[in-house]
Amino acid sequence: MPETILELANVTKTFKGKTAVNDVSFSVERGQITGFLGPNGAGKTTSLRMSLGILTPDRGKVTLFGKKPGPKALDRVGFLPEERGIYRRMKVIDVIVFFARLKGVEAGEAKKRGLKMLDEFELLHAAEQPVKTLSKGMAQKVQIISTLVHQPEFIILDEPFSGLDPVNQKSLERIVRAQADAGRTILFSTHVMEHAERLCDKILLIANGTKIFDGSVKQALGEVPRRIFLETVSEHDLLALLDAYGDVRRDEGGDDAVRCWSLDLAAGADAQDVLKACVDAGVKLTRFEPVRAHLHDAFVHLVESAGGKLTETTDA
Amino acid sequence: MRNIYLIARREFLSYVATWGFWLSLASVPLFMGLGFGLPMLIENSQPTRHYVIVDESGGQLEQALVDGFTRAQEQQIAEIQEAVTEMVGDNPQVQQAMASGMMQQIGDGRYQRIDLGLTDLEALRPYLLEEQAIEIDGEEASLFAAVFLRGSVENGIEVDYWSKNRTDSGLRSSISRALEDYMQEAHLLSGGVSPGLLQAAEALEPEVRELNPERSGADATVTDAERIPFIMGVAVAFALWIIIFSVVNMLLTAMIEEKGNKVLEMMMSATRHYEILTGKLLGVACVSATLLVFWMGLALGGATLVQQAAASADIPVAEIFSALLDPGLLLPALGYFVIGYLMYGAVFLAVGSLCDTIQDAQTLMSPIMLIMMVPLFLVMISADSPDSPIVAIASWVPVWTPFIMLARLPHDPAMIELVGTTLVMLVTAIGVIWGAGAVFRLGSLNQANQETIKGWFSFGKKS
Repeated sequence: MPETILELANVTKTFKGKTAVNDVSFSVERGQITGFLGPNGAGKTTSLRMSLGILTPDRGKVTLFGKKPGPKALDRVGFLPEERGIYRRMKVIDVIVFFARLKGVEAGEAKKRGLKMLDEFELLHAAEQPVKTLSKGMAQKVQIISTLVHQPEFIILDEPFSGLDPVNQKSLERIVRAQADAGRTILFSTHVMEHAERLCDKILLIANGTKIFDGSVKQALGEVPRRIFLETVSEHDLLALLDAYGDVRRDEGGDDAVRCWSLDLAAGADAQDVLKACVDAGVKLTRFEPVRAHLHDAFVHLVESAGGKLTETTDA
Repeated sequence: MRNIYLIARREFLSYVATWGFWLSLASVPLFMGLGFGLPMLIENSQPTRHYVIVDESGGQLEQALVDGFTRAQEQQIAEIQEAVTEMVGDNPQVQQAMASGMMQQIGDGRYQRIDLGLTDLEALRPYLLEEQAIEIDGEEASLFAAVFLRGSVENGIEVDYWSKNRTDSGLRSSISRALEDYMQEAHLLSGGVSPGLLQAAEALEPEVRELNPERSGADATVTDAERIPFIMGVAVAFALWIIIFSVVNMLLTAMIEEKGNKVLEMMMSATRHYEILTGKLLGVACVSATLLVFWMGLALGGATLVQQAAASADIPVAEIFSALLDPGLLLPALGYFVIGYLMYGAVFLAVGSLCDTIQDAQTLMSPIMLIMMVPLFLVMISADSPDSPIVAIASWVPVWTPFIMLARLPHDPAMIELVGTTLVMLVTAIGVIWGAGAVFRLGSLNQANQETIKGWFSFGKKS
């Protein structure tokens, strides 16, 4: 059984009478990449801050490496906050060494590692420059290096892709993957589903401060009805014909000769069986298009099913 | 401890790398230089005022004026000689310089009498109105004033002082004083008082001795050196206020900048908020200690140089340093500095954590600044009246205790006051630092801002 790195048990946190996190429980196991998903204001940042002991929960329990979050445990964690910044007047290498030393790395070793990572991130030329002379993308890379330089076992990234251009997003995805390959446990929050779908072994979905899903990406996709789009040029009534396979709807569009339909497959139903039923009934099909569900669909479906809204609330 | 050290070190190095630090370092010698040099510069930059005297009394009053000015100049020279002797002792080089005629340059040389050969006001008017220039040593100048003297001691003296200048009253006052002395003296002489008696009367002055009832005999006389500890107490209290005030402002601006850089949450994932708070306070304390050591070294060096330049100097340098380094003043001063700095520093850091800009901070700073200004006035009162009830009561206000008690220490306040005020101050300091830590934590995570604080003080107000 894999070791549990982080565990939140029935955790609740309220600010000025507003519940930001309500009775949330989840765990992160060693070696996994866990995506922490949810709309803006869902309670992701509050949960992450409680995970590190930056905030104390009103109720419930948080354990990090099996203990209450404390200085020893923090040395084993790398955290990139959503609201991130670094000392603008300091030199790039000095910033990296400073954060490494706060995490217990010796000065010489910190500098050696910092220079190596700057080289890997193609920033070695900027090592002696003040941070304020760097572009935004370069500064974000320096922040990521500062988060990783002490070689943490557990990496927490709060909205790491926000503010990055597509090239740097791709580059960050590679970094996350490389860290996971090196055996690190990663928990990152995002509301960009594509990254989570590509990277995560497991996802946690939170909305309005309440956990609404905890499982693998495959399981999440399983929560979304698979959909088939059909277009027919015969007079058959698919509402009756395909009723046994799921929820059939007559869609707008088409013309007098072409009729458009969509079918949300019921659990256990198979697209091949639907096709066979149409052929057997002599339906003249001009389109039969099963659509693969994406995590975005699962996200929208799960949030809406839980009665949540995808509009911004407050920054929690 | 590791993180506190690292944060303090970073803070220290970041301040030392700024221009502001080096300007602060240079500010004291710079201001001292300005303090000495500026009055001289102002004095030297004053234009020479040229005036004419028209004596309609037949020369008697003009002579009285000349005599009066000469006496005033001699008196001024004598006062300067006395002051110089008091400062540098009977240094032969200085005495020689004074005797060489250098002192004759001293006096109110700004006003120079000239003779245009004109005695009629209408003839002088174009010069007074600057329609016509006068010539002095081949250069053009303007006529500052024309003074018409008439009458006599018996019948009254009248002076018509004609000038366009309404603000420079130096010449008018000198004339008035000189003629007043002349009139009084002439009056006494005409009443039968002999010149010798008059001179003897002017030289009369009482001998006042200050004696300490705790001693007797010759030892009872109070010397100037004995007053030094009281002066030093007030001086150290003011110095403490200035240092704390300037250092906590550094903390505030740095904190706001750090919050603007959004670096705090990154820090809080690596260390705890109280470690950040403590590290920052210590780092800036080291900055102020560096400034203090440099300034004290400079003062010590300066004093030594003065001592060497005037071997027989009368400056009580030994007494000053003895008073300053007296453990009875030095140790409490250190303790009050640490506690006062921690109290105010923690509050300023907390305020900084709540604000995104200096403008935000100003709203919260106004009441704190008012509270900080009060001890300045109380220290001044305590210099003269250390036993004043207002000073005694204010000593118990913890945020004022460090400054007022320091000024009162040389007056030997009651032990109950000393211990009591210190205890109240310590307990308050702990409470303030704890509270500031909590606010700092909320402010750093953007869970509180200046509006939150305003809300705390708006009890009962309708929203």
